[in-house]
Amino acid sequence: MEPHGALWMRKPDLGLVIERITDGVLAIDASWRVSYINLAAKRMLRIVDESDVLGRFWLDAFPKARGRRFEHEYRRAMREQVTIELVEFSPTANAWLEEKLFPSQEGLTAIFRDVSSRIEAQREIERSSSLQQAVIDFGRLALAGLPIEEIGEEAVALLRGGVGADIAEVFLYDWQAQRFHCLAATGWPEHAAHPLTRYCLDHFLSAVESGQPVVMTDMRNDRRLPQMAELTELGITSGVVVPIGTAYQPLGVLAGYGTVPRKFEFADVRFMESIAQTLAEALRTSESNRMTFQVIDSIRDGFVAVDRDLRITYVNQIMAQAYRRTPVQMIGTKMLEYVTDPELAAVALSKSREALASNRAVTFESLVDERWYEVRIYPFADGVAAYVRDVTGRKAEELRVRELNAELERRVQARTKQLELANGELESFSYSVSHDLRAPLRAIDGFSQALADDYGDRLDATATGYLRRVRGAAQRMAALIDAMLTLARVARHEIAFSRVDLSQMAAAIVNDLRDDDPSRTVDAIIEPSIVVFGEPVLLHALLANLLSNAWKFTRNTPHARIELYRGGGEVVVRDNGAGFDMAYANKLFGAFQRLHGVDEYEGTGIGLATVARVVHRHGGSIRAEGEVGRGAAFFFTLPPELPEG
Amino acid sequence: MKKAYILLIEDNPDDVELTKRAFAKNHIVNDIVVLSDGALAADYLFEGGRGERGLPQFILLDLKLPKISGLELLERIRKHPETQLLPTVILTSSKQDEDLMAGYRLGVNSYVRKPVDFNEFVDAVRQVGLYWLMLNEPPPDGSFEV
Repeated sequence: MEPHGALWMRKPDLGLVIERITDGVLAIDASWRVSYINLAAKRMLRIVDESDVLGRFWLDAFPKARGRRFEHEYRRAMREQVTIELVEFSPTANAWLEEKLFPSQEGLTAIFRDVSSRIEAQREIERSSSLQQAVIDFGRLALAGLPIEEIGEEAVALLRGGVGADIAEVFLYDWQAQRFHCLAATGWPEHAAHPLTRYCLDHFLSAVESGQPVVMTDMRNDRRLPQMAELTELGITSGVVVPIGTAYQPLGVLAGYGTVPRKFEFADVRFMESIAQTLAEALRTSESNRMTFQVIDSIRDGFVAVDRDLRITYVNQIMAQAYRRTPVQMIGTKMLEYVTDPELAAVALSKSREALASNRAVTFESLVDERWYEVRIYPFADGVAAYVRDVTGRKAEELRVRELNAELERRVQARTKQLELANGELESFSYSVSHDLRAPLRAIDGFSQALADDYGDRLDATATGYLRRVRGAAQRMAALIDAMLTLARVARHEIAFSRVDLSQMAAAIVNDLRDDDPSRTVDAIIEPSIVVFGEPVLLHALLANLLSNAWKFTRNTPHARIELYRGGGEVVVRDNGAGFDMAYANKLFGAFQRLHGVDEYEGTGIGLATVARVVHRHGGSIRAEGEVGRGAAFFFTLPPELPEG
Repeated sequence: MKKAYILLIEDNPDDVELTKRAFAKNHIVNDIVVLSDGALAADYLFEGGRGERGLPQFILLDLKLPKISGLELLERIRKHPETQLLPTVILTSSKQDEDLMAGYRLGVNSYVRKPVDFNEFVDAVRQVGLYWLMLNEPPPDGSFEV
């Protein structure tokens, strides 16, 4: 490119052209005096009268260039005779100038233009991108779970650096008390009152009430807010207040102030709004965390969360107390530092792995210092949380229940043993009864007979009668003993159920009765095929007792009749014999209960007791109806037939 | 020929007397040797206690005996080569199923319950005596000593 200077030197008539071009042109001669300045340059450099600069030493004409890059580069261009380009902020022009310096032996020509708007735009782009990055970094930081106080400190530091606020502060709004309190502040002059002592400032309220930022360019002239005077007294002249949260749910304000009047850019406000939004999110997260942690801290059980490196990310008060530490001391340290029992550590580790691998809660119990703990491990994305409950009480209760059960079992066993012994005793008692009691009876009977046989001739009728009575008594007692043994056998007899034809059984019994007592004429009317389900031996004892009773008690009845039939689910044995008084019906089935004198009808008083016991052992019931002189009827039920097996 | 006699193993003197009387009533005049406990009986049967005397025609054995019980004695009788074929009748007050089963398992020849009624008792003894002394053919002579 051809130097302008040469062009101008060769053709002086071009002076007019140069005078009119929009670039500034300034010429300095070899002795550093201003030799020419064109119209555009005069306008840019704010020179009203060109005589103020023409012919003067250039640094006297433009004193603000002294010591700046301009001076340095002008001198270098002359010294080295090289063309130099530079972009620099000119305090004289109060603008960014792009300059080209063309040196020659006669002097130096500088051609320059105002590039302020370009530079500013470029700087604005750079600044906004760095602000954007700062907002992103802050967001990451704020949501990392730091305490809200630390996030507040970060916010004010960012505000100071990002928008160049001299003072920055974050106030939280308590909407119930309609009061603000300071979360973080920076940049306040020493003599200013501590921010915590100030509250309820108008511009804060204005911001939270409108949900819109309040921008104050020059407070000294701002009449909107009367309390501004307080701030201007502290040297504050400009500021921006942006609300945190919304007008519906205000959480606080973020404020930045300057000590010089200044116009906050749209980008600055946007930047602050971004920070405010992040703060709002952090506050909400922190609030929900706080509430969660409040709940966790309030529970009387231990709670600890660890990350995948087993570093404690949260521990509640109870858990920390268990290790004689505070939560703050423990957070960030490794959990296994506190678990001294190697067995517990191993179990906890393997259960945590299990929980993470299966993504399911895993529970185990552990005995530590004589107390039982239930540990439930919950997996989550970044680690595991353990919920630790002291279950010593429950364990003790379980142990007590187990001991009680064992004790109960022991008692049952002891009682069973006792019962077995008692049964054994009963058995040997029965044996003795059948054996030992019968022997003396036999002696009584036998020797009575011997007496009668051998000495009968020396006894009178009365003595012989007495001997007969002795023998009769002995034989009755023997019968009683046999009946008692039968009753006892019914109680002990195991029940093996099978189908039993009562009709056939009854017919056989009646035949036996006829054979034993052929002199009697008794009508036996037996309904055929009464088939029941029961134990044959016991049912035989039942029928034999009832039928022989009927046989016996019809002894004095002219037309004796014995019936066996079914009716209404019951089996009935009826006779038309002596009968009984219903008033004594309740005594019928008791052992040794008799409703007739021995001389009237012989018997042991055990028969019906045996009958009742047989029925009851089958799970059935029995009742009797009777009338003196008109017969008796016995009704019994047996359980319905059970399926085979 | 050795004289056939009856061995009565019974500890109750009343029952001994009544049994002897019942035999007498039935005109059974064979000797009756009485041993009053199980140990004496064992000695008599297996340990030479009977001296020169041979084995009885049959044994009437009570179950409830001092020292060695009737069932135990029966077991030894059936195990011993000399006595294993010796007719043995249990004569007892007991009619417990257990005693009956045990008696038959051990190889008793008869099981007779002593009735309380003396007349019945006499009848029972008569039948037992007649059967084992008269009707029953004992094993060939000398086979007891096999």
